[in-house]
Amino acid sequence: MSNRTISRKGQHVVPSQSGWSVRKAGAARASSVHATQEAAIAAATKIAKNQGTELYIHGRNGLIRERNSFRNEPRPPKA
Amino acid sequence: MPVPFERSVFLNCPFDGDYAPILQSIAFCVIDLGFHVRIAPENADGAAARLDRILELVRSSKFGIHDLSRCKSSEADEYYRMNMPFELGIDHGCRKFGGHELAEKSILILESNKFDYQKGLSDIAGWDIHSHGMDYVEAVRHVRDWLVHHAGADSIGTERVLGDYATFRGWHYEREITNGASERDIELYAPINVIRAMQDWYAAGKPDEFSA
Repeated sequence: MSNRTISRKGQHVVPSQSGWSVRKAGAARASSVHATQEAAIAAATKIAKNQGTELYIHGRNGLIRERNSFRNEPRPPKA
Repeated sequence: MPVPFERSVFLNCPFDGDYAPILQSIAFCVIDLGFHVRIAPENADGAAARLDRILELVRSSKFGIHDLSRCKSSEADEYYRMNMPFELGIDHGCRKFGGHELAEKSILILESNKFDYQKGLSDIAGWDIHSHGMDYVEAVRHVRDWLVHHAGADSIGTERVLGDYATFRGWHYEREITNGASERDIELYAPINVIRAMQDWYAAGKPDEFSA
């Protein structure tokens, strides 16, 4: 096991009652709400790029369907 | 370590792939609010009959969530799925006739479409039954409200629970990839394995990022 830590909290695009929300991991509330998933992905991508973190796109069922990394550091080796 | 009766929630829900996201979100809400999920596969000991396992789960759980979404056939000549209403009947009977602490049992009934249950189970007409429309956000909302109002759960808002759920999903994804799983592997995990991961996440203090 390495001591590697993912140091920045990822951004999540998730469905919400009024459309699609952008949520930072660990946040109690959405940081923004959008009418379409595309708009939410665009907003979350901008934040993830600026912060150098992960972007998780959830499907309508809540499960992660896509993940994009904007971290500068290399991915850890897979076990 | 035995699970305390007062914090134990029996989940009587379908286990098919289409329903899995609803089952997982319901289980997550229960765990996030500090309760223990009890489902039949948790003690799938080949030596014990399935019904005996279910009876033990019902007897040892103060709370029961019963989802009747699969009582309706989806195709011609398909049989109804009778296990869920049967187990609801066991839970209800346990509350009515079990005596002692079992008389305190509390039940939440969910369905997919409003009033569908009445067509196959008219005996429970008039009970307070909630429909989620196969929307996990609605399922979480119903379970959260019920746990807060009937089980004394801390009044954490639905929005907070949904935020925790997204956080857990990211944590779980990173953990599994780091441990050598593929995205496809994660998609195919059995619900009981995901529920165990939820318990790991809760026991770790609900971390908002994965460390390895």
